[in-house]
Amino acid sequence: MVSEKVVIKNPSGLHLRPAGLLCKEAIKYKSSINFRFQSTTANAKSVLSVLGACIKSGNELEFICEGEDEKEALAAMIKLVNEGLGE
Amino acid sequence: MYKGTGASAGIGIGRAVIVEEKELVIKRETVTDPAAEIQRFKGALEVSMQQTEALAEDLGKRVGEKEAEILKGHIMLLSDPMLVGEIETNIQNEGINAEYAIESVCTMYADMFASMGDELMQQRATDMRDIKTRMQKVLLGVASVDIAALPAGSVIVAKDLTPSMTAGINPDNVTGIVTELGGRTSHSAILARALEIPAVVALGGILEQVKDGDMVVLDGTDGVVIVDPEEAVLSEYQTKREAFLKEKKDLEQYIGKPSITKDGVQVELVGNIGKPEDVDKVLQYDGEGVGLFRTEFLFMDRDAMPTEEEQFEAYRKVAVALDGKPVIIRTLDIGGDKEIPYMGLEKDENPFLGYRAVRFCLDRKDDVYRPQLRALLRASAYGNIKIMVPLVTCIEEYRQVKALVHEIMAELDREGIAYNKNIQLGIMVETAAASLIADIFAKEVDFFSIGTNDLTQYTMSVDRGNDKVSYLYSTFNPAVLRSIKRIITCAREAGIMVGMCGEAASDPMMIPLLLAFGLNEFSMSPSAILRARKMVTQYSTQELQAVADKAMSFATTAEVENYMKEFVNQ
Repeated sequence: MVSEKVVIKNPSGLHLRPAGLLCKEAIKYKSSINFRFQSTTANAKSVLSVLGACIKSGNELEFICEGEDEKEALAAMIKLVNEGLGE
Repeated sequence: MYKGTGASAGIGIGRAVIVEEKELVIKRETVTDPAAEIQRFKGALEVSMQQTEALAEDLGKRVGEKEAEILKGHIMLLSDPMLVGEIETNIQNEGINAEYAIESVCTMYADMFASMGDELMQQRATDMRDIKTRMQKVLLGVASVDIAALPAGSVIVAKDLTPSMTAGINPDNVTGIVTELGGRTSHSAILARALEIPAVVALGGILEQVKDGDMVVLDGTDGVVIVDPEEAVLSEYQTKREAFLKEKKDLEQYIGKPSITKDGVQVELVGNIGKPEDVDKVLQYDGEGVGLFRTEFLFMDRDAMPTEEEQFEAYRKVAVALDGKPVIIRTLDIGGDKEIPYMGLEKDENPFLGYRAVRFCLDRKDDVYRPQLRALLRASAYGNIKIMVPLVTCIEEYRQVKALVHEIMAELDREGIAYNKNIQLGIMVETAAASLIADIFAKEVDFFSIGTNDLTQYTMSVDRGNDKVSYLYSTFNPAVLRSIKRIITCAREAGIMVGMCGEAASDPMMIPLLLAFGLNEFSMSPSAILRARKMVTQYSTQELQAVADKAMSFATTAEVENYMKEFVNQ
């Protein structure tokens, strides 16, 4: 299991479009990909789960990946968030 | 007459067509073979996805990719593993029919989104209900309302329009849209604007007031709807409609034309924006740049200070989109009228005379001002960014900001980070003090931008939100006009650029005076730019001198206003 913290930078937070982008990337990996924010944990492969976490710009998330390609999966998630999720 | 929210400008006149989705009757039924029921669900899911993809593709071609995005979002939701998994589990464990499993799972998510409170999340709730209905219709074999086949001259009246319904709208036949729900940013509103169909939304109870076939008139600018209008009202709106269409067409010919007066004086007509996305509007209406980019959006509705990186991205994006055209970015203008807990800003007894804007920023250099100025300087490497300081009252404030900018420049030099070494640093002239010492400021600052909303408020000592005194609030008051004229004169004498970014800059009665005073730049809501350009090209600044002299000779606001009204209408 690997994990890393990252701050959401794009202005609208994890709304439909950015959340969709995140999920699209997440499902490319075999590992389970979750993120933790305060007391909730969301499945990065489910757009509903991501939306349900109600993440706003400036929130800090911790991504947790587990599986055969966990390192690559984590790196991809962090990169995508740092690039502003297409916004 | 009914009043809702104007969501798409223009006048619509036509016969009401009530568009109602028949309420589907979903009963809970037990099934003997859950595995077969899951297959039935999967089949319906597949068909729903295909239908949505076809709608998205059609809408993308007819209207635009941006409008098709919401339907692409539906495809994402339909293919969500959690949603599909939960519905399947529900069918399996409870041994119930697919329709009911879809109902309970989708409704749960819709309620969850609806309870989150912000407008974008409300939209997700609508999305969930929309995909729920689509899957259930496939299962039940119910056809959707066919909006594409409405007769010409129809005004759609509905509770709300789902994306699947709006996708079929043909603007040749639909002259207006009225809905009970929705807001300016709801999907139907966005689509109505893209299709240029006048629309009024958020008009609760309208379905009880109007029947199929009733004559309906709507004004999408003011949000007014009239059912069964009298002959006189109808013809008044017909005239309005023609005038609106004519003006729109008339103004389109000013796209790409220079903003130059008859006697050859060139001015800049630029846009005010509040978010990076607003740049699209500025470009659409052929703005020559951005005269005011408010940065407050970056700091509102959140729990923590935006990082330098995040700000840099927002500023860079706008600079790049404007492709070398000037972008004046105003540093944070925030104070005790807003409560922002993470910033430690508290309610102020007298917020507009208190701890705000540059006063606050200079007091909070390390955590607020320095990151913003650093982000602005870094972004200046990507376009023509100018920095504007709000609410300046004395030259010391400007000097402090300038010193801070130079400090950060030295820091960037040491780090080898690129920025525009000749970046302009100007001030917003919006206090009586700044106006009175405009001659002193003009010797040191790179440009002025007159903020008429605050300048009028501070000059007249009046809160325009207070109905009892708002009659005093007028930019045409002789005191305010003298202040404006003096600021422009001081700037011109010192040879610096002077613009205006308040509402007055687009006021047809004010533009002739501003041209006569010698204003260089007019910054306004993007949709007003073409009308302003048309006006500019019709005047000669030399001929306007006499008009300005006359206007300045009056003692009262009413006399100035009457005189200017008469001048503009002749």
